[in-house]
Amino acid sequence: MSFEIIGISSSLIEKQAITEIERCNEFTAEFGLALSPSDAAELVEARNIALKSNGRIEFGGGAIHKIIREFCDSPYISMHNYAETIHELTEMFYYYKNETLDLMSDDDLIKFMKNSFDGKCQGSLELLSGRELANMARNLRYGYPPDYSEDPMPDEEDEDGEY
Amino acid sequence: MANIDKQHVIESNKLSGEQYFTSILQGAYANGLLCDSDMENIQLQCIQLLANICERYSGGESSSIRVEAAENIMKSNLYTIGLYLKSLPDVDFAVNEIKKASVSEMYQKGRKLINVRLHSAKHIYNLVRKNKLFTPNYSYNSTINEGIGSFFKAYDPDYEAHETPASIDYQLCNPVTNMIGIEFILKYLENLFLENEFCRGFAPEDIHHMLYGYDKGYKDLLINIFEQVLTAALGCSLANRNVVELDISAEEIRHLHYELSEYDDCSLSLKLRKAAGKMLEELNADSLPLKRYIERSMPKIITNILHAVRMNTLNKTFISKALPDLKPRIRFLSGTKMHDEDYRKLIDELLMCRHSPDKLALIKEKVKSFGDLEDLLFDAQLSEEETDSVFDILEDVEIAALIRRHPFRTDIQAVDLSEGEMALRQYLKNYIDRLPKGKQEEIFEMADRLIDE
Repeated sequence: MSFEIIGISSSLIEKQAITEIERCNEFTAEFGLALSPSDAAELVEARNIALKSNGRIEFGGGAIHKIIREFCDSPYISMHNYAETIHELTEMFYYYKNETLDLMSDDDLIKFMKNSFDGKCQGSLELLSGRELANMARNLRYGYPPDYSEDPMPDEEDEDGEY
Repeated sequence: MANIDKQHVIESNKLSGEQYFTSILQGAYANGLLCDSDMENIQLQCIQLLANICERYSGGESSSIRVEAAENIMKSNLYTIGLYLKSLPDVDFAVNEIKKASVSEMYQKGRKLINVRLHSAKHIYNLVRKNKLFTPNYSYNSTINEGIGSFFKAYDPDYEAHETPASIDYQLCNPVTNMIGIEFILKYLENLFLENEFCRGFAPEDIHHMLYGYDKGYKDLLINIFEQVLTAALGCSLANRNVVELDISAEEIRHLHYELSEYDDCSLSLKLRKAAGKMLEELNADSLPLKRYIERSMPKIITNILHAVRMNTLNKTFISKALPDLKPRIRFLSGTKMHDEDYRKLIDELLMCRHSPDKLALIKEKVKSFGDLEDLLFDAQLSEEETDSVFDILEDVEIAALIRRHPFRTDIQAVDLSEGEMALRQYLKNYIDRLPKGKQEEIFEMADRLIDE
């Protein structure tokens, strides 16, 4: 009899997760976004891979539906990149759960991701992962607030659009 | 009439004490008491329990946790359930309980049991602190004062019930095996309490003198005081001496050796058991748990004595008391070392200096502390003659301090020492050997009395 929990992915838990994701279509429809059953299944599969590669375990539906709920009103997500973006955001989410040493709750991390994605990153997943989340994780590890910056100059353009 | 033990399908002595629940499941499955569907059901319930506790662990703020943390929580849950099952009358009861009760129910009962055990452990810990022996032995004192105390601060019965976060250096005569977590601490404290209770039948100074006879530096040794005291008391009982005083002379030990070597193993162990009974009578030890504990310790002690009798080393097992040396001590202070920068300059100068008299003059002029001189003997690459001339300018007490710090009469193998250390010890030995006999003795005596700070 084995109690090794790394292999736990009972079909029951997966089915529950797929149903939860499909149910998200009810409120994403007003933004013109929807996931097909196969998209939902792929997303759950991607979540399992992300969990395994990051050495984490999740019980129940998990964080995907929270990510969908938060990101569905983003101006940078449309039907043509919806599934792909949620897929990448899910991977990013679990990676940075580890990188932040679990110091940030799911909700706070997703909110930070959303604000950065819509704000400084202007829809760029590369900037979100490589810069904003990486900086935030480093700040948390060194005991600074998540949005702490050593650079006194804001890296935004001035009012006239000049540097 | 011999004891009649009930026969069980699962042999309880083959079950793991540390992983009781899993080993009982394995045994029950192997013996057909639980079928595949039962096992699957139990596994699923365990996962459900894990999910609930993980949610509590993350404070509901995180839907996922690290696998290591989840595995640790799973171990803790299984341990808690095992603790409850162990509290049932026998293995058959435990298997029935596994069949009837849900995993969550068993966990809750185990969790309550941990609270009870934790409370008992705290109580016994207070008793142990009260009946603690007055001894300079470091491992004994640090284990009782800090080692076990830290357990009660760090133990986490919800998520790490199986861990034993205590620093326990002091080894018992009957080590606690096959137990972890709160069970281990409780058993360890119970045993330690009994050991203390026995040793408190003797005066602390008698124990101190006996252990001093065992080894002058016993305060730093990882020895079990109870074992030494029990053996010594047994020796006194065999030699018809007053047990309470733990006083047996070297002559009596020699006599005992002649007497005991006549016996074969079986009759010798019988004689030792009789002597133990007599010793307990003399000590008025009528506590039943203590008698049982001594009974459990006897095989180890008998083996030691048998071995000593056969190897003619009884004087190492039965110890004659020795009075600590009460001669005045010499306190040696090394002085303040010079600044690193100045020291580096001096070494550079010495390395560049060609003539030995110049080197000596430089050392005489610049070196003002013993610590610097000691460093210099390693760093300045002096030849044996040059080192000898440095030794010549030192006072006897400084030579004695060097001997204390770099003893050449030790059991340490040359391979364990650095090249510089080996050379220094050799030069020092050669230097001392050249001194007149009387002077040598004077310096060695001084080294013995030195308290180096």
